[in-house]
Amino acid sequence: MSDEQISLPFFAIVLLVSGLIVRYLFFSGPRPERPPIRTAEQLIRSREVAVQRIQQMFPQVERRSILWDLQRNGGNIQSTTERILAGRLETPPITFQPPPLRTQSPPSGSSGPAAKQPEKPAQPDLITRYNLKSKVTEAPAAEDGGAQGEHDKKGKGWSSNREERQAALQRRRDEMILAARRKMEAKLAAEKAAQGSS
Amino acid sequence: MAQSTAHRRLLQEYRALTNNPPEGITAGPVSEDDLLHWECLIQGPEGTPFEGGVFPAELKFPKDYPLAPPTMKFLADVFHPNVYPSGLVCISILHPPGDDPNHYEHASERWSPIQSVEKILISVMSMLAEPNDESPANVEAAKMWRERRDEYEKTVRDGVLRMLGL
Repeated sequence: MSDEQISLPFFAIVLLVSGLIVRYLFFSGPRPERPPIRTAEQLIRSREVAVQRIQQMFPQVERRSILWDLQRNGGNIQSTTERILAGRLETPPITFQPPPLRTQSPPSGSSGPAAKQPEKPAQPDLITRYNLKSKVTEAPAAEDGGAQGEHDKKGKGWSSNREERQAALQRRRDEMILAARRKMEAKLAAEKAAQGSS
Repeated sequence: MAQSTAHRRLLQEYRALTNNPPEGITAGPVSEDDLLHWECLIQGPEGTPFEGGVFPAELKFPKDYPLAPPTMKFLADVFHPNVYPSGLVCISILHPPGDDPNHYEHASERWSPIQSVEKILISVMSMLAEPNDESPANVEAAKMWRERRDEYEKTVRDGVLRMLGL
Protein backbone atom coordinates (compact mmCIF):
# COMPACT_ATOMS: atom_id res chain seq x y z
CA MET A 1 0.00 0.00 0.00
CA SER A 2 2.65 2.45 1.05
CA ASP A 3 4.65 1.49 -2.00
CA GLU A 4 1.80 2.44 -4.28
CA GLN A 5 1.29 5.76 -2.50
CA ILE A 6 4.85 6.81 -3.18
CA SER A 7 5.03 5.62 -6.75
CA LEU A 8 1.87 7.39 -7.96
CA PRO A 9 3.05 10.98 -7.48
CA PHE A 10 6.47 9.88 -8.65
CA PHE A 11 4.91 8.49 -11.79
CA ALA A 12 3.01 11.71 -12.29
CA ILE A 13 6.23 13.70 -12.06
CA VAL A 14 7.96 11.43 -14.55
CA LEU A 15 5.04 11.93 -16.93
CA LEU A 16 5.19 15.67 -16.51
CA VAL A 17 8.94 15.84 -17.08
CA SER A 18 8.82 13.64 -20.14
CA GLY A 19 5.91 15.68 -21.42
CA LEU A 20 7.97 18.85 -21.03
CA ILE A 21 10.91 17.23 -22.81
CA VAL A 22 8.71 16.23 -25.72
CA ARG A 23 7.23 19.71 -25.83
CA TYR A 24 10.66 21.26 -25.78
CA LEU A 25 11.91 19.01 -28.55
CA PHE A 26 8.90 19.63 -30.76
CA PHE A 27 8.53 23.34 -30.26
CA SER A 28 12.16 24.33 -30.14
CA GLY A 29 12.64 22.91 -33.62
CA PRO A 30 11.44 25.88 -35.64
CA ARG A 31 12.99 28.43 -33.31
CA PRO A 32 16.54 28.55 -34.64
CA GLU A 33 15.17 29.34 -38.10
CA ARG A 34 13.17 32.24 -36.87
CA PRO A 35 15.58 34.96 -35.67
CA PRO A 36 16.72 36.23 -39.09
CA ILE A 37 13.13 36.85 -40.10
CA ARG A 38 11.91 38.04 -36.77
CA THR A 39 14.39 40.84 -36.15
CA ALA A 40 14.80 43.02 -39.16
CA GLU A 41 16.77 45.29 -36.89
CA GLN A 42 19.40 42.63 -36.29
CA LEU A 43 19.60 41.97 -39.98
CA ILE A 44 20.21 45.63 -40.72
CA ARG A 45 22.89 45.74 -38.07
CA SER A 46 24.67 42.67 -39.36
CA ARG A 47 24.49 44.09 -42.89
CA GLU A 48 26.00 47.31 -41.63
CA VAL A 49 28.89 45.37 -40.10
CA ALA A 50 29.37 43.50 -43.37
CA VAL A 51 29.36 46.76 -45.34
CA GLN A 52 31.95 48.21 -43.00
CA ARG A 53 34.18 45.21 -43.44
CA ILE A 54 33.90 45.37 -47.20
CA GLN A 55 34.42 49.11 -47.30
CA GLN A 56 37.62 48.69 -45.33
CA MET A 57 38.91 46.62 -48.21
CA PHE A 58 37.31 48.65 -50.97
CA PRO A 59 36.73 52.20 -49.82
CA GLN A 60 35.92 53.30 -53.36
CA VAL A 61 32.81 51.12 -53.57
CA GLU A 62 29.63 52.85 -52.54
CA ARG A 63 27.69 51.65 -49.55
CA ARG A 64 24.53 51.42 -51.58
CA SER A 65 26.04 49.08 -54.15
CA ILE A 66 27.45 46.85 -51.43
CA LEU A 67 24.12 46.68 -49.64
CA TRP A 68 22.38 45.87 -52.86
CA ASP A 69 24.74 43.00 -53.59
CA LEU A 70 24.55 41.71 -50.02
CA GLN A 71 20.80 41.79 -50.18
CA ARG A 72 20.79 39.76 -53.33
CA ASN A 73 23.18 37.08 -52.12
CA GLY A 74 21.75 36.87 -48.63
CA GLY A 75 24.52 38.69 -46.81
CA ASN A 76 27.46 36.67 -48.10
CA ILE A 77 30.52 38.88 -47.63
CA GLN A 78 32.81 36.57 -49.54
CA SER A 79 30.80 36.44 -52.70
CA THR A 80 30.35 40.22 -52.67
CA THR A 81 34.11 40.60 -52.23
CA GLU A 82 34.73 38.33 -55.16
CA ARG A 83 32.27 40.22 -57.29
CA ILE A 84 33.96 43.53 -56.49
CA LEU A 85 37.38 42.04 -57.31
CA ALA A 86 36.03 40.75 -60.59
CA GLY A 87 34.51 44.14 -61.30
CA ARG A 88 31.10 42.64 -61.66
CA LEU A 89 29.37 44.62 -58.95
CA GLU A 90 26.06 45.82 -60.31
CA THR A 91 24.63 49.26 -59.98
CA PRO A 92 21.58 49.13 -57.75
CA PRO A 93 18.32 50.34 -59.25
CA ILE A 94 17.19 53.76 -58.14
CA THR A 95 14.31 52.23 -56.29
CA PHE A 96 16.71 50.46 -53.95
CA GLN A 97 17.05 52.65 -50.90
CA PRO A 98 19.18 51.28 -48.08
CA PRO A 99 18.41 52.41 -44.55
CA PRO A 100 20.41 55.49 -43.63
CA LEU A 101 23.58 54.98 -41.64
CA ARG A 102 23.31 54.63 -37.88
CA THR A 103 19.58 54.32 -37.57
CA GLN A 104 18.83 55.28 -34.02
CA SER A 105 15.19 54.30 -34.24
CA PRO A 106 14.75 51.56 -36.80
CA PRO A 107 11.29 51.77 -38.30
CA SER A 108 9.44 48.92 -36.66
CA GLY A 109 6.29 49.57 -38.61
CA SER A 110 8.43 50.15 -41.71
CA SER A 111 6.13 52.96 -42.80
CA GLY A 112 7.99 56.06 -43.89
CA PRO A 113 5.76 58.77 -42.43
CA ALA A 114 5.53 57.06 -39.06
CA ALA A 115 9.28 56.81 -38.81
CA LYS A 116 9.73 60.42 -39.83
CA GLN A 117 7.28 61.84 -37.37
CA PRO A 118 9.43 61.83 -34.25
CA GLU A 119 12.15 63.71 -36.12
CA LYS A 120 9.99 66.66 -36.95
CA PRO A 121 9.57 68.38 -33.61
CA ALA A 122 13.35 68.22 -33.20
CA GLN A 123 13.75 71.03 -35.73
CA PRO A 124 12.62 74.35 -34.34
CA ASP A 125 11.52 77.10 -36.68
CA LEU A 126 13.98 79.83 -37.56
CA ILE A 127 12.52 82.36 -35.16
CA THR A 128 13.08 80.03 -32.22
CA ARG A 129 16.38 78.82 -33.53
CA TYR A 130 18.00 82.22 -33.82
CA ASN A 131 16.16 83.80 -30.91
CA LEU A 132 14.34 86.34 -33.00
CA LYS A 133 11.06 86.41 -31.10
CA SER A 134 11.60 89.94 -29.81
CA LYS A 135 12.69 91.21 -33.19
CA VAL A 136 9.70 89.78 -35.02
CA THR A 137 7.29 92.16 -33.37
CA GLU A 138 9.65 95.09 -33.71
CA ALA A 139 8.80 97.45 -36.52
CA PRO A 140 11.18 97.14 -39.45
CA ALA A 141 12.27 100.71 -38.87
CA ALA A 142 15.93 99.89 -38.99
CA GLU A 143 15.63 98.96 -42.60
CA ASP A 144 14.52 102.27 -43.95
CA GLY A 145 15.31 105.74 -42.74
CA GLY A 146 18.48 107.19 -41.35
CA ALA A 147 19.86 103.93 -40.07
CA GLN A 148 20.54 102.80 -43.60
CA GLY A 149 23.86 104.56 -44.00
CA GLU A 150 25.25 103.27 -40.79
CA HIS A 151 23.98 99.84 -41.62
CA ASP A 152 25.79 99.69 -44.88
CA LYS A 153 29.00 100.64 -43.24
CA LYS A 154 28.67 98.14 -40.45
CA GLY A 155 26.81 95.28 -42.02
CA LYS A 156 28.75 94.91 -45.19
CA GLY A 157 32.36 94.40 -45.88
CA TRP A 158 35.14 92.63 -44.12
CA SER A 159 36.13 93.98 -40.77
CA SER A 160 39.58 93.40 -39.40
CA ASN A 161 38.05 92.90 -35.99
CA ARG A 162 37.02 89.37 -35.23
CA GLU A 163 34.09 90.29 -32.96
CA GLU A 164 32.79 92.80 -35.47
CA ARG A 165 32.89 90.20 -38.19
CA GLN A 166 30.96 87.79 -36.04
CA ALA A 167 28.37 90.41 -35.15
CA ALA A 168 28.00 91.48 -38.77
CA LEU A 169 27.44 87.90 -39.86
CA GLN A 170 24.79 87.42 -37.23
CA ARG A 171 23.10 90.65 -38.21
CA ARG A 172 23.00 89.60 -41.84
CA ARG A 173 21.56 86.26 -40.83
CA ASP A 174 18.85 87.80 -38.66
CA GLU A 175 17.93 90.33 -41.32
CA MET A 176 17.63 87.67 -43.95
CA ILE A 177 15.22 85.65 -41.82
CA LEU A 178 13.18 88.63 -40.68
CA ALA A 179 12.92 90.00 -44.20
CA ALA A 180 11.72 86.63 -45.49
CA ARG A 181 9.18 86.43 -42.71
CA ARG A 182 7.84 89.92 -43.33
CA LYS A 183 7.57 89.23 -47.02
CA MET A 184 5.74 85.97 -46.40
CA GLU A 185 3.42 87.62 -43.90
CA ALA A 186 2.54 90.28 -46.45
CA LYS A 187 1.96 87.62 -49.06
CA LEU A 188 -0.33 85.64 -46.76
CA ALA A 189 -2.24 88.78 -45.88
CA ALA A 190 -2.66 89.63 -49.55
CA GLU A 191 -3.90 86.14 -50.29
CA LYS A 192 -6.37 86.34 -47.46
CA ALA A 193 -7.64 89.69 -48.67
CA ALA A 194 -8.04 88.34 -52.19
CA GLN A 195 -9.96 85.38 -50.88
CA GLY A 196 -12.18 87.57 -48.74
CA SER A 197 -13.13 89.89 -51.58
CA SER A 198 -13.88 87.19 -54.10
CA MET B 1 47.21 78.44 -33.50
CA ALA B 2 48.92 76.80 -36.38
CA GLN B 3 47.51 78.15 -39.60
CA SER B 4 46.80 75.09 -41.66
CA THR B 5 45.89 75.14 -45.31
CA ALA B 6 42.29 74.45 -44.45
CA HIS B 7 42.14 77.42 -42.09
CA ARG B 8 43.76 79.79 -44.51
CA ARG B 9 41.52 78.73 -47.32
CA LEU B 10 38.35 78.89 -45.24
CA LEU B 11 39.19 82.33 -43.91
CA GLN B 12 39.78 83.48 -47.45
CA GLU B 13 36.45 82.07 -48.59
CA TYR B 14 34.68 83.60 -45.61
CA ARG B 15 36.17 86.95 -46.52
CA ALA B 16 35.06 86.67 -50.13
CA LEU B 17 31.55 85.66 -49.09
CA THR B 18 31.35 88.61 -46.71
CA ASN B 19 32.63 91.22 -49.13
CA ASN B 20 30.71 89.94 -52.06
CA PRO B 21 27.81 87.82 -50.88
CA PRO B 22 25.88 85.99 -53.58
CA GLU B 23 22.18 86.74 -53.82
CA GLY B 24 20.18 84.89 -51.19
CA ILE B 25 23.12 83.35 -49.37
CA THR B 26 24.62 84.10 -45.98
CA ALA B 27 27.43 81.89 -44.78
CA GLY B 28 30.18 81.92 -42.23
CA PRO B 29 31.71 80.00 -39.36
CA VAL B 30 29.59 79.54 -36.26
CA SER B 31 32.54 80.82 -34.31
CA GLU B 32 35.97 81.74 -35.62
CA ASP B 33 37.45 79.46 -32.98
CA ASP B 34 36.44 76.58 -35.20
CA LEU B 35 36.65 77.44 -38.86
CA LEU B 36 35.73 73.89 -39.82
CA HIS B 37 32.14 74.36 -38.74
CA TRP B 38 29.99 76.79 -40.69
CA GLU B 39 26.38 77.68 -40.71
CA CYS B 40 24.62 79.17 -43.66
CA LEU B 41 21.25 80.37 -44.80
CA ILE B 42 19.94 79.72 -48.27
CA GLN B 43 16.98 81.47 -49.76
CA GLY B 44 14.47 79.34 -51.62
CA PRO B 45 14.77 79.99 -55.34
CA GLU B 46 12.04 82.07 -56.92
CA GLY B 47 9.45 80.41 -59.06
CA THR B 48 9.67 77.19 -57.03
CA PRO B 49 7.62 75.99 -54.07
CA PHE B 50 10.65 76.88 -51.93
CA GLU B 51 10.22 80.55 -52.85
CA GLY B 52 10.08 82.88 -49.88
CA GLY B 53 11.66 80.37 -47.56
CA VAL B 54 15.00 80.58 -45.81
CA PHE B 55 16.79 77.36 -45.02
CA PRO B 56 19.51 76.97 -42.43
CA ALA B 57 22.22 74.42 -43.00
CA GLU B 58 25.52 73.48 -41.46
CA LEU B 59 28.71 72.78 -43.31
CA LYS B 60 31.36 70.60 -41.75
CA PHE B 61 34.78 70.73 -43.31
CA PRO B 62 37.37 67.96 -43.07
CA LYS B 63 40.83 68.76 -41.81
CA ASP B 64 42.25 68.25 -45.28
CA TYR B 65 39.87 70.71 -46.92
CA PRO B 66 39.99 71.69 -49.80
CA LEU B 67 41.26 68.29 -50.88
CA ALA B 68 38.17 66.60 -49.50
CA PRO B 69 34.68 68.10 -49.67
CA PRO B 70 32.66 69.28 -46.68
CA THR B 71 29.37 67.69 -45.71
CA MET B 72 26.24 69.74 -45.73
CA LYS B 73 23.21 69.17 -43.57
CA PHE B 74 20.02 71.15 -43.45
CA LEU B 75 19.08 72.17 -39.93
CA ALA B 76 15.43 72.17 -40.85
CA ASP B 77 13.00 69.81 -42.46
CA VAL B 78 13.59 70.09 -46.16
CA PHE B 79 11.29 67.81 -48.09
CA HIS B 80 13.26 67.24 -51.25
CA PRO B 81 14.27 64.17 -53.30
CA ASN B 82 17.99 64.83 -52.81
CA VAL B 83 17.92 65.59 -49.10
CA TYR B 84 17.94 62.70 -46.66
CA PRO B 85 15.29 62.83 -43.95
CA SER B 86 18.17 63.58 -41.57
CA GLY B 87 18.85 66.77 -43.52
CA LEU B 88 22.02 65.53 -45.20
CA VAL B 89 22.37 66.90 -48.71
CA CYS B 90 23.16 64.46 -51.50
CA ILE B 91 24.57 66.35 -54.45
CA SER B 92 27.42 65.55 -56.81
CA ILE B 93 29.57 68.56 -55.90
CA LEU B 94 29.79 67.22 -52.34
CA HIS B 95 31.04 63.83 -53.45
CA PRO B 96 34.74 62.98 -53.17
CA PRO B 97 36.87 63.66 -56.22
CA GLY B 98 37.40 61.12 -58.96
CA ASP B 99 35.01 59.25 -61.16
CA ASP B 100 31.81 57.82 -59.84
CA PRO B 101 32.11 54.02 -59.77
CA ASN B 102 28.47 53.91 -60.79
CA HIS B 103 29.01 56.29 -63.70
CA TYR B 104 26.18 58.50 -62.63
CA GLU B 105 28.33 61.59 -62.43
CA HIS B 106 31.28 62.97 -64.31
CA ALA B 107 34.46 63.75 -62.44
CA SER B 108 33.94 67.41 -63.30
CA GLU B 109 30.67 67.50 -61.37
CA ARG B 110 32.23 66.14 -58.23
CA TRP B 111 34.24 67.88 -55.57
CA SER B 112 37.65 69.21 -56.41
CA PRO B 113 39.79 71.87 -54.72
CA ILE B 114 38.84 74.41 -57.36
CA GLN B 115 35.25 74.31 -56.12
CA SER B 116 34.25 76.48 -53.18
CA VAL B 117 31.66 77.04 -50.51
CA GLU B 118 30.00 79.57 -52.74
CA LYS B 119 29.73 77.08 -55.57
CA ILE B 120 28.32 74.45 -53.24
CA LEU B 121 25.65 76.78 -51.95
CA ILE B 122 24.72 77.93 -55.43
CA SER B 123 24.52 74.29 -56.55
CA VAL B 124 22.29 73.48 -53.60
CA MET B 125 20.06 76.41 -54.52
CA SER B 126 19.64 75.12 -58.03
CA MET B 127 19.14 71.62 -56.68
CA LEU B 128 16.17 72.95 -54.69
CA ALA B 129 14.73 74.26 -57.92
CA GLU B 130 15.49 71.16 -59.96
CA PRO B 131 15.70 67.88 -58.08
CA ASN B 132 17.91 65.20 -59.54
CA ASP B 133 15.69 62.22 -60.00
CA GLU B 134 18.51 59.78 -60.60
CA SER B 135 19.69 59.16 -57.09
CA PRO B 136 16.99 60.02 -54.60
CA ALA B 137 18.01 60.40 -50.97
CA ASN B 138 14.45 60.76 -49.80
CA VAL B 139 12.42 58.14 -51.63
CA GLU B 140 9.13 59.40 -50.33
CA ALA B 141 9.82 62.90 -51.60
CA ALA B 142 11.14 61.59 -54.91
CA LYS B 143 8.05 59.50 -55.45
CA MET B 144 5.74 62.34 -54.61
CA TRP B 145 7.71 64.73 -56.80
CA ARG B 146 7.44 62.35 -59.72
CA GLU B 147 3.86 61.23 -59.32
CA ARG B 148 1.97 63.86 -57.34
CA ARG B 149 3.64 67.16 -58.04
CA ASP B 150 0.80 69.21 -56.53
CA GLU B 151 1.03 67.40 -53.23
CA TYR B 152 4.81 67.71 -53.21
CA GLU B 153 4.63 71.45 -53.77
CA LYS B 154 2.08 71.86 -51.05
CA THR B 155 4.20 69.88 -48.58
CA VAL B 156 7.18 72.05 -49.40
CA ARG B 157 5.18 75.26 -49.06
CA ASP B 158 3.82 74.16 -45.69
CA GLY B 159 7.37 73.45 -44.59
CA VAL B 160 8.44 76.94 -45.65
CA LEU B 161 5.68 78.54 -43.59
CA ARG B 162 6.47 76.37 -40.57
CA MET B 163 10.10 77.30 -40.78
CA LEU B 164 9.29 81.00 -40.73
CA GLY B 165 7.12 80.44 -37.68
CA LEU B 166 3.93 81.40 -39.50
